[in-house]
Amino acid sequence: MRACKVQRARAVQPPKPECGIRGHTTVEQAIVVEQLVKRYGDFAAVDGISFSVARGTIFGLLGRNGAGKTTTLECCIGLGKPTSGSVRVLGLDPTRPRDLARMRPRIGVQLQATSLPEKANVREVLELYAAYYGIASRAAEMAERVGLGDKLDRQIAQMSGGEQQRLALALALQHDPDVLFLDEPTAGMDAFGRRILWTEVERLRDAGKSIVLTTHYIEEAERLSDRICVIQRGTIVAEAPPAELVARYGGDATVSIVAGGFVPGEALAALGTWTNAGAKWTLATRGEPGLALATVVTRANAMGAKITSLDMHRPTLEDAFIAVTGETIGEAE
Amino acid sequence: MMLLRMFLMQTKMNFVWYFRRDGEMMFWTLAMPVFFLVLFSFAFSTGPNSGSAKFLVPGIIGAQVLSSGFWGVGVMLATFREKHLLRRVYLTPMPPWVFFGSLVLYRMVLLAAQAVILVAAGALLFHVRITGNPLEILAILLLGTATFISLGTIIGALARTTESANNIASILTVPLAFLSDAYVPIDRFPHAVSSALRLLPSTQFIDTFRDVSTYGAPLAHYGAWIGLLVLWAIAGTLISARTFRWV
Repeated sequence: MRACKVQRARAVQPPKPECGIRGHTTVEQAIVVEQLVKRYGDFAAVDGISFSVARGTIFGLLGRNGAGKTTTLECCIGLGKPTSGSVRVLGLDPTRPRDLARMRPRIGVQLQATSLPEKANVREVLELYAAYYGIASRAAEMAERVGLGDKLDRQIAQMSGGEQQRLALALALQHDPDVLFLDEPTAGMDAFGRRILWTEVERLRDAGKSIVLTTHYIEEAERLSDRICVIQRGTIVAEAPPAELVARYGGDATVSIVAGGFVPGEALAALGTWTNAGAKWTLATRGEPGLALATVVTRANAMGAKITSLDMHRPTLEDAFIAVTGETIGEAE
Repeated sequence: MMLLRMFLMQTKMNFVWYFRRDGEMMFWTLAMPVFFLVLFSFAFSTGPNSGSAKFLVPGIIGAQVLSSGFWGVGVMLATFREKHLLRRVYLTPMPPWVFFGSLVLYRMVLLAAQAVILVAAGALLFHVRITGNPLEILAILLLGTATFISLGTIIGALARTTESANNIASILTVPLAFLSDAYVPIDRFPHAVSSALRLLPSTQFIDTFRDVSTYGAPLAHYGAWIGLLVLWAIAGTLISARTFRWV
């Protein structure tokens, strides 16, 4: 797998020093993963993954459940030891205990499974985690930020999965880390929770934080990520900004029209490739489908053809995903 | 200062989360030992004024030390791991000793409360008197607690699931309590058997603790047992430290 160089997505970064200076704050790449392999027995959960995450950007790991996203993330935060390959977070190597100790205060993590004591309440957990990081507790402020302002005394066992996830996010953020790792952060969340999380994540990116998130929600990956890395069976099958992924792999946009007496003819041939099935004509185009649609409608009107049906489809990230993986993300939820 | 604050808050939260908000836990911790005292003193003796309560009070406290180590720490750690609590705190800058130390301190506070309740119940119901040197009693109690917590941590380190940790703890605690002079004097067994049972750390601890507390013997007479208990504690700590997994 090739190492994917990530362009700087934002202008506010310091000039580039050499990548990989241990713990140095001006390392341009927040995370560099090279040829990462993680095997469990004969099974390679991660099989040679390389990528890097520029400071102040959101990097999305998109793939089906079991594709290797979580394992990759675990190797970045010291929860898993790579079988081979290397990981650097802020120039630090999470497999070295001393580096990991220096890394911990500077990273924030939201894990997939809820991992808090059932009888604890929101305030207590936030206060205890503040003590872990040696900072003043910001329980009320943090709870407010994730929409739990009125639930400070609520016990974990009485909270919904989505509320627990939002608390987990607050715990990841309270100590103001430089790098955030979010593992399926909105799994099981309702629309309200999702909006809170998305807004928060974008706000953090704009504040210069570097964020890695794993997701199997196309919409989430597309909305949040500056770059998306599509993972399938432990390897990277595509990596680019979302719009570029769509442009490169999403295929043609289509415009279809059903109109009595309509034929594209010479005038519309330049727009792309026309096919027809009965009365329905379909145009496949690389260009802007909205403009093509306008042109088609103008032509139909000029011909005096009566339009009975009109459709337009832009290639989506999902189309691109299917094109590169040969499968749908396929999880009904 | 930062570490002290972390340590104290973790200890307090252990107490609030795992004890004060857990009625079942409170009952088992505080009421069951007294229930055992009353039950066994009637079951195993001729009457309340016989020597049996004097035997049982330190015996039950000793059995609580055992289960504190095996269940209170060992199974608890396995549960923490299974519920992904361990991997979450592993990601924070909290040093491991804060986590273990606060768990140990929390169990020690509960043990102290249990001991006080049992001694009070023994005194009120059966006129049991603690005649030994308080400092020596405290010393052997602390040593026993350290030994069984370190041995219990091995369970927490090796058991893959809460269920298996529970099974291991049950297999160890219940027979040990009955074979280590806690409830039943092992002198009742044939000599060969009771000699063999004295090789168990539980017997070494409970016998010493009983002799020093209710029988008023000087701790200095038990140098060999103390030495062995120290070795058990060191072995337990080393094995635990080597095998413990956060994830």
